[in-house]
Amino acid sequence: MSRMLSLRIAWRFLRSAPVQSLLIISGIAVGIAVQIFVGSLITSLQGSLVDQTIGSAPQVTFQALTDGDPVRYSPKMQDVIANDPRVKRGSVSPVRFATSLYTNGTDSASLSLIGGELRELDGIYNVSKRVTDGTASLRATDILVGKDFAAKFKLTPGDSIALTLQGGSRATFTVAGIFDLGSAAFNERQAFVNGDVPRSLLGWSADQYSAVQVQLVKPFESAQVATDWRRKVPGVEVVEWQAQNADLLVALQSQGSSSYIIQTFVLVAIALGIASTLAIAAVQKTRQIGILKAMGLSDGRAGRIFLWQAIILGGVGSTAGVALAYFLLFGFSFSGASFSIQPKLSFVLLSAGVGIGVALASSIFPTRRTSKLDPIEVIQNG
Amino acid sequence: MAEKLLVADSLDKVYGTGEGATHALRGVSFELNEGEFAAIVGQSGSGKSTLLNMVGLLDTPTAGEVRFRGRNAEALPRPELARMRNELIGFVFQFHYLLPEFSVFENVAMPAFIGGTLAPGEIQARAEEALALLGLEGLEGKNANQLSGGQKQRVAIARALMNRPALLLADEPTGNLDTVNTDLVYDLFRKISAETGTAFMIVTHDRGVAQRTDRILEVTDGRLVQDIRNDYARAT
Repeated sequence: MSRMLSLRIAWRFLRSAPVQSLLIISGIAVGIAVQIFVGSLITSLQGSLVDQTIGSAPQVTFQALTDGDPVRYSPKMQDVIANDPRVKRGSVSPVRFATSLYTNGTDSASLSLIGGELRELDGIYNVSKRVTDGTASLRATDILVGKDFAAKFKLTPGDSIALTLQGGSRATFTVAGIFDLGSAAFNERQAFVNGDVPRSLLGWSADQYSAVQVQLVKPFESAQVATDWRRKVPGVEVVEWQAQNADLLVALQSQGSSSYIIQTFVLVAIALGIASTLAIAAVQKTRQIGILKAMGLSDGRAGRIFLWQAIILGGVGSTAGVALAYFLLFGFSFSGASFSIQPKLSFVLLSAGVGIGVALASSIFPTRRTSKLDPIEVIQNG
Repeated sequence: MAEKLLVADSLDKVYGTGEGATHALRGVSFELNEGEFAAIVGQSGSGKSTLLNMVGLLDTPTAGEVRFRGRNAEALPRPELARMRNELIGFVFQFHYLLPEFSVFENVAMPAFIGGTLAPGEIQARAEEALALLGLEGLEGKNANQLSGGQKQRVAIARALMNRPALLLADEPTGNLDTVNTDLVYDLFRKISAETGTAFMIVTHDRGVAQRTDRILEVTDGRLVQDIRNDYARAT
């Protein structure tokens, strides 16, 4: 028992007041669980929102300086994109846009055509996996239409549709498949066609495109990536999603800020809980500490008793909090929410570490009080 | 010639300041030899417990000094004072002050645990020896709260003996005991003193008890008014 005497005394003190110890451990556990749950919820919600917003959309786009002009998918541009590790592999798609009008005799609707290679379009829009009816195919006369457009005009795979293209020419396509990209606006007004369709319509060469669309490994690096590329590829315009979605970013940042405020107050509540409990414990054990000091326990070792108590309470409480958090997250998976919470291990460990850290910080007062206690105060006062 | 264990030199202790100041001790001086068996007597509030705390290195004098084996306590840092209390002094308090969170064995062994210099086997042996000396065999695993008043006081004495101190200080150690147990405790103190050479200073307000020690220091109003060798006790 001589070794780690402070720890052993701390443990014995905690065991002597099991209800008090259990209550504070529960308090820490609930606090850490809320911390992990709220943090993970907000992060996952933001991730889901970002994914819904830009997960199937370009995050950085090269386009011509003048609207309507083609941008040249030059070897230099290809080289810059290919050598940038921030670019998500296989997520580069040069596309050509064209406008068209569909009429079925009684009703009509404009339809924006996105022309490209299916494999490359998949890198941005993930079209193939989002085809809900028919097949993902973009041969010369194939067209993939959205489910809202198909529903509006009662189209099914295999149907032929005639479109009036910009400039007035007409072309007939076969509906190869019907996609659902999760956005009603997109599903109703956009369609995918073979890249040669708009090229021949616009009279562009093989390396001329409306835009070169790129996705990144980390979407929030888009501003920096765009800045770098503007310098490296002059003469073209580089636009990025954050500049075009300022409102969304403000919403995400506000959500993040509110999450931090909640988490901060949870931590403050934990700190106050532990600090008050340890302070009470220090007062309750004043007599014992005084006796131990009278028998020769040094100030440092006496002080460490409450430091150890904080470590034990913080450690056990945080561990229980992590378990409780996973239990809450498991329960949330049955809530029917449109997104799932994926807690990051690093955040979970950080939260547990913060719990222990807060416990340690909370022990400063009782540790100092115990360390300074003069045994004569106890002996004289009985 | 007996060696000096401690010297109390012109000890003053004042609590408070100004007109409300209380003089607990006024110029108390005496010497205690190794192995001496002494009593401090006096009325309640006379200053005898204050004196005991001072020679036990728990309290510091307002003026004067305590020299323990030649070392001036005033000049020693707190860690060194703590070490000296652990190694050289055993305390028996009036209210025994056992640690309710620990077993009888752990209470007795606590000074050795704090000292940290003895091997676990040695601690075990010494604690068992101390418990046996005080007739506490079989109670090792009990919690301190499960004992009678007399048993608690004996456990406190066993704890005070654990580190084989040079000086055992006892403050009204029999104040809460009946006559039979009082006699048992004093007989035990005598026996321990004779066997181990430990010096004793026993605070008591019971003159009958004091008469059984070798030396009586009488404190009145913070002054040492008598310091007499008690030949009667030695003779009997």
